[in-house]
Amino acid sequence: MPPPRPISPVPVDASRLERLLRDLRPQVRRGALPALPPPRCPTGISAIDGLLGGGFPCGHLSEVAGATSSGRTALALGLLAETTRAGQVAAVVDAADAFDAASAVAAGVTLERVLWVRAPHVRAALRSVERLLEARGFPLILVDLVGREDRDARSPTVWSRLARAAAGAQTALVLLAGRRLAGTSAELALEMQPRRACFVGMPALLEELEVQAVLARTRSGLCGAAGRAASVRLHVLGSAA
Amino acid sequence: MRIACLLAADLPLAAVLRAQPELAGLPLAIVSGVGPRAQVIAISAEAARAGVRPTFSVVHARSICPALRVRVASPALERAACETLLDVARSLSPRVAAAPRCSGVYAAEAAVYLDASGVGLLFRSEEGFAAALTTRACTAGIPAVVAVASSRGVSLLAARCIARDLQGAQDARSAAEQFQAAGEKSAYEAQGAGTVLVLVPAEEATFLDPLPIDLLDPEDVLAEALTRFGIRRVGELTRLPRRSLVTRLGPGVLRLLALAHGEEDTVPLPGAAETRVEEGVDLEWPIENLEPLSFILRGLLARLAERLELRSLVCGDLDLELRLEGGGRDTRRVAVSAPNGDPRTLLGVLRLALEHPLPRAPVEGIALATEGRPVRTDQLDLFHPAGPTPSALGRTLAELEALCGSERVGAPLLVDDPHPDAFAQSPFALPRSAPKTALRPGVAIAALRALRPPVPAAVRAPRGRPEWIRSAVANGPIVGLAGPWRTTGGWWSPERRFAFDSFDARTGDGNVIRLRFDLMHCVWQVDAIYD
Repeated sequence: MPPPRPISPVPVDASRLERLLRDLRPQVRRGALPALPPPRCPTGISAIDGLLGGGFPCGHLSEVAGATSSGRTALALGLLAETTRAGQVAAVVDAADAFDAASAVAAGVTLERVLWVRAPHVRAALRSVERLLEARGFPLILVDLVGREDRDARSPTVWSRLARAAAGAQTALVLLAGRRLAGTSAELALEMQPRRACFVGMPALLEELEVQAVLARTRSGLCGAAGRAASVRLHVLGSAA
Repeated sequence: MRIACLLAADLPLAAVLRAQPELAGLPLAIVSGVGPRAQVIAISAEAARAGVRPTFSVVHARSICPALRVRVASPALERAACETLLDVARSLSPRVAAAPRCSGVYAAEAAVYLDASGVGLLFRSEEGFAAALTTRACTAGIPAVVAVASSRGVSLLAARCIARDLQGAQDARSAAEQFQAAGEKSAYEAQGAGTVLVLVPAEEATFLDPLPIDLLDPEDVLAEALTRFGIRRVGELTRLPRRSLVTRLGPGVLRLLALAHGEEDTVPLPGAAETRVEEGVDLEWPIENLEPLSFILRGLLARLAERLELRSLVCGDLDLELRLEGGGRDTRRVAVSAPNGDPRTLLGVLRLALEHPLPRAPVEGIALATEGRPVRTDQLDLFHPAGPTPSALGRTLAELEALCGSERVGAPLLVDDPHPDAFAQSPFALPRSAPKTALRPGVAIAALRALRPPVPAAVRAPRGRPEWIRSAVANGPIVGLAGPWRTTGGWWSPERRFAFDSFDARTGDGNVIRLRFDLMHCVWQVDAIYD
């Protein structure tokens, strides 16, 4: 019986391969997944959603900073309303203890789908956020630190850790504060500025607030360059209502 | 009819090892009390190998084995171990009955009878059922043996027989080790004693015949009389005429005959499903600090959760009773709003409850009880997004309550109260229904940020209309004003009576606030901010 012949590779004719690829070019592609933009949580305010490219990105930390009466809370309630309307649950970690249920209902929020955590201090608020991110299943977590921007809230380590946890949980983590706290950990930062308050009629009624939103930071180029701004009119239901 | 007997032969030892698993593999003696003269009542295999025997005093035992660990027998631990044995049995059969505790030689054993009829359909064979039972008992921290026979008595005798053989095998192994250590050839062979035994009805008489009469646990007087008569085996007793035996030995012998003939064949009845579970521990030394107390509580909670898991339940509200030095008791009920079985989370809740206020004296004993609650289940909907899993949500809610307080976590509620400061929360639960279509405003709505408590303000208001304000949230001249709107309520109660005049105001520093004048106390306050 003759000894078995060693198997040698078939020589490839490079020129024939190149010709074949050229002929098949429209049909042949290098295998790769299409780069999809992250899903977004819309605010329901068309000007803001247009500025953000559809809303706040899921799986990222975003921050909304601004002065008093600049529309931060209205924006947050819009987010909550859109999320709960989609049948999802959301969490509000409220270190400022400022959540107003009547305003939320007026904005269209389904209250039974909101977990409201009234954290007694910033440290408890940040720990609560971490626990909620660990639980998974909350597509939106709002952290309200307005007026509570102490040393714990300014720690960059905390925000980078929470941003990583948000990426793992695919949660849109949105921070409300008087000024920007998360630094480079934030995927995008929106700065809100008050413009004017409109009183009309006799006797006078507070009818609307006009605010401006400025996209101060965006890490991905999907929603446009930083520095773009949008003006928003917020209708006031007011004490008279 | 088939009855299984689940038997823990050495309950005091098993109870201590269940609570302190780190002692497994060490020479351990369980003693009757505190002090050097206390009597050893149970020993581990390692202690037996070192030469320690029950009935030794602590001093004697320690002189033989200096590395001996000594623990005082704890009635609370034994009670919990007995309950655990019942839980193990209930996890496999609904018809379960605890055997009455014996005295004398078998005082240390605890037995549970189970209805084993038809279990072959579920476990392929009765051997499989018995093996599953022993495995579950071992997992729950109680080593036990199982015998299946056609009556309670025969199954108990068979279980005692297995336990005796296991003990004999251990002694043989220890003797063999001693022989080998001395360089001699061992005359003993390690016996392959198993932990389960299944007797078919036809073989029961043959099995019982050679068993020693002591396995029937006769009373001392009766045992002495039987020995005097030369009756040493069960078979020798059963072959004698019943009437003559009763005439000569009294009615006490009837119990032995009933056991030996397998006449106790009543099937355990299904009991009511109990959901309350208790665990306890008697401490040898009082504990003064919260940290070591937490260590003990962690073990109690873990055992509580294990037992509830056998019943497919999780922890509900916790009832904690601390026995204090000096005879006092500290009883607390700790609410667990989201039932869960995670000991770490429950420990956080308990610690929070113990910190405010701290126990007023060192703790000598702890009893922890809970009402088991069913695990929360959720039916997912293909067309609606899934939220957090019920178990993860339960654990998270408990952790959040431990962090922030139970009254600060929940879903917001619209309250039917005219007071502007009124707000409420309800326990949060995953909504089961499809989302209702909430009213969608056509325009963006400015929201109010509540200030809790309202911020006091100094306001200059000639003719009742504010013109200038100084406060922690807004300052300066008032450049826009709407109002007032009067809100009153609580007129029937002097404590709850209120009356406010509210204004919407824009201040010189750009803030838009809701300002109010408290007519009852004549003070100005900022109670909300438009944002």
